[in-house]
Amino acid sequence: MKSLRNCALAIAALVGGFGSNRAHALGVPAGTAINNTAQVTYSVGTVNATATSNTVSVTVAEILDVVVTLQTPSVPVSAGDTNQDLVYRVTNTGNGPETFRLVMNSVLAGDQFDPTPSATSIYFDTDNSGDLSPGDTPYVVGSNDPALSADGFVTVLVVNDIPGTVVDGNRGFSRLTADARTGTGTPGTAFAGQGVGGTDAVVGTTGADSEATGEYLVAGVTINAVKSQVVVDQFGGNRPVPGARINYTIVVTATGTGTANTTVFSDNIPANTTYVPGSLQLNTTTLSDVADADAGDFATTPAARVRVALGNLNTAAGSKTITFAVTIN
Amino acid sequence: MFKGKGKVFALVATFACGIAPQAFAQSQGCVELKSVVETEQEVVNAAGQKTLQRAPANKVVPGSVVIITVTANNICKKPSDNVVINNPVPDHMTYVASTATGQNSDITFSIDGAKFAAPDQLTVSDAGAARKARPDEYRVIRWTFRGALAPGASAVASFRATLN
Repeated sequence: MKSLRNCALAIAALVGGFGSNRAHALGVPAGTAINNTAQVTYSVGTVNATATSNTVSVTVAEILDVVVTLQTPSVPVSAGDTNQDLVYRVTNTGNGPETFRLVMNSVLAGDQFDPTPSATSIYFDTDNSGDLSPGDTPYVVGSNDPALSADGFVTVLVVNDIPGTVVDGNRGFSRLTADARTGTGTPGTAFAGQGVGGTDAVVGTTGADSEATGEYLVAGVTINAVKSQVVVDQFGGNRPVPGARINYTIVVTATGTGTANTTVFSDNIPANTTYVPGSLQLNTTTLSDVADADAGDFATTPAARVRVALGNLNTAAGSKTITFAVTIN
Repeated sequence: MFKGKGKVFALVATFACGIAPQAFAQSQGCVELKSVVETEQEVVNAAGQKTLQRAPANKVVPGSVVIITVTANNICKKPSDNVVINNPVPDHMTYVASTATGQNSDITFSIDGAKFAAPDQLTVSDAGAARKARPDEYRVIRWTFRGALAPGASAVASFRATLN
């Protein structure tokens, strides 16, 4: 029995270790050789003996798999905009290095307009800026098809112009497709000997091709301001006589799908009137006349006017009501 | 010290667990060991019937299953006793639960190559506590054959593993 116990340790050393590579997300790297040897112990009469088998070897085949994901949510555009980009990521989800062909298509069903591919419609985000910029390399099919290692990815920009005839709320789709240059097809299709190191390349569950579709959203925004006035004279009536007070109310509302950023309302004090100090209000909150941290102020240069910062306005923000008063000189 | 054929086996017993014993064991022992790795595929014949066909495994796709079969053949004129076959689960592969077979054998498993036990008795230490080992954690399989292996007879051990 003693010889058998020593043999146990020898088994570990002999046949190549216990480390399992299960941590690799994609499976074992293509081309890896896996060897296996068996061992037997036995006795003949009183004598113990051992023998080992032949070593069997298998080579890991290469799996062809790719995934395209959209990195930008809906991109807001205006009619007639040019060179508007959608951002995609193309990832090699197989277990060996592979080259991929890229194709874009903007003629798709389900949208209200077809974006017009720009003169160069696919770029690599070479400078990693997350959008189209002068440092980005144009993609030329068959010339600089991206070569990705297992788990590797590349960021791709698809670029379109927006037709002049679109209206607010229109959506236009544009799609990026990537496929493996070694081959695509039904999962399990094998390309004998065409994997890394001469192993077989086999189409994986993605079919070795993938696509993702992004959208442009025509996001127009219109700001409306409706002004009204009420005259209150010093005698309890409503005649516009010198000394009477005019209370102005202005309601500012955004409509459409877009956002007007950093909106500022400004209104001149009418000629022959004098601003009533401290009368400026936004949504019934009094704003100090001096320029300070609150949203409004009253200034006299270059001309007498009230001014209120309204922030970013869109339909969701709701309407803003500004009030101020003047007296008739 | 030893006379006749006994001398040969004594030498094997001394060196077997030290340096690579292949050169000694295979040409001078009573048991020859042969290992085969196969894949199994469903084949539809001309009559539309489906059968499972085995073929030697060469290039294997991650996720697919291989079948490893080890055969111990007694090439002497005397019986061999205490025949025990050990086969590691190959690197980058995971044992498929309940697929180890071997007629007339008791099958045990090991994680560390030292401690072998039946599935319901094999434990691992996990975060300081002992728990039952899972089949996907087995790294070595052992077939302990009952009775003697007669001259000219074979003992067969087999199991399946998935390529990670």
